[in-house]
Amino acid sequence: MQTEATLAQADVSDLDLVTRCQAGDTEAFDELVTRYRTRVFGMIYNMVHSEQDAWDLAQDSFLKAWKSIKRFRGRSSFYTWIYRIVMNVTIDWLRKKQVKGGGSEFDDSIQLKEVEPASKTVPKSEALPHEMIERSEIRARIDQAIAQLSPEQRAVILMKEIEEMQYHEIAEALGCSIGTVMSRLFYARKKLQNLLRDVYENI
Amino acid sequence: MKTFEEKWTAWLDGQLSGRELAEFEASLPDKAAAEAEKAVARKLGVLLKRELGAPALTNEEFFSHQLRERIRESSVPSAEREAKASTWWTIPRLLWTGTASLAVFLIFTIFVIRDKNPAEESQYLTQILNARVDPVVSPNATVSMFEVKQDRVTVLWTEGLQSLPADYAAK
Repeated sequence: MQTEATLAQADVSDLDLVTRCQAGDTEAFDELVTRYRTRVFGMIYNMVHSEQDAWDLAQDSFLKAWKSIKRFRGRSSFYTWIYRIVMNVTIDWLRKKQVKGGGSEFDDSIQLKEVEPASKTVPKSEALPHEMIERSEIRARIDQAIAQLSPEQRAVILMKEIEEMQYHEIAEALGCSIGTVMSRLFYARKKLQNLLRDVYENI
Repeated sequence: MKTFEEKWTAWLDGQLSGRELAEFEASLPDKAAAEAEKAVARKLGVLLKRELGAPALTNEEFFSHQLRERIRESSVPSAEREAKASTWWTIPRLLWTGTASLAVFLIFTIFVIRDKNPAEESQYLTQILNARVDPVVSPNATVSMFEVKQDRVTVLWTEGLQSLPADYAAK
């Protein structure tokens, strides 16, 4: 149940809350966390495919945001700023995991063998009896395909297609140029088109 | 100067316009194939959007609670944290602890001595005194000492002595 205070806070802009955070107001930060925790968690989950890891990384991202909130100058939206932190934390984590795992996750030589576009897991023409099963199969295929992308490509495709962010926002969040964003998007799409052809052809 | 990849991406996302759009479309060798690919890219986008909807964050309140706790912990001033982390046994603390322990020991000892049972004390002395009686000279002799604390009186009781030992002295 929403209290009067929370109803009033709904009208407060992110920037006002950030200003209060910069003065040490943890309640203001709490409000920002409430606004973005689901989106941040969802974004990370789509990058790492593990609820527990997504939870931990979202926690680390918000903690890092709190520690560096005084450096936020308002040149971008808070949303873009927090996404930059989220992406740094998540990409670092994925890279460390990749090193620990022997670097096989993004090995181009095995990716097409692992996710064969003509795989029997999702038949081309006939639907599985239960829609739920079909959806979970599709989801698994997409997750597998996304896992074949580099961390940067994952970030770009998810921010563009799921978050519907603009090129300049993605560039800001990833700390790279707009051209780099567009280039990564190009290769990410090509790879996903190859890996998921049989899936999207049926929709 | 944009690369082909950049122009292609911008074209797919409808970000090209005017002269740039016309030039790019004119440069395509097979516009029909490009349009088909554009449709595929859109289908892929729809698929991703539909299937990758953010999973629900369960226990949202606990998430915020946990974060608040972590923020609170991280907000403890570093000096305080260092003090907590540093070894407790600094030299002044060692000295203070040593003095306190000694004081406790002395107080405890005084109380134990004061509370000692007088009868036990007398029996102990009696045993010592008995040991001083020469059994050859006085085979049936006994020497006892009793102390009555409330009257501040000590009684030396001897029996069966032929004579007192020359070196006798109750120390």
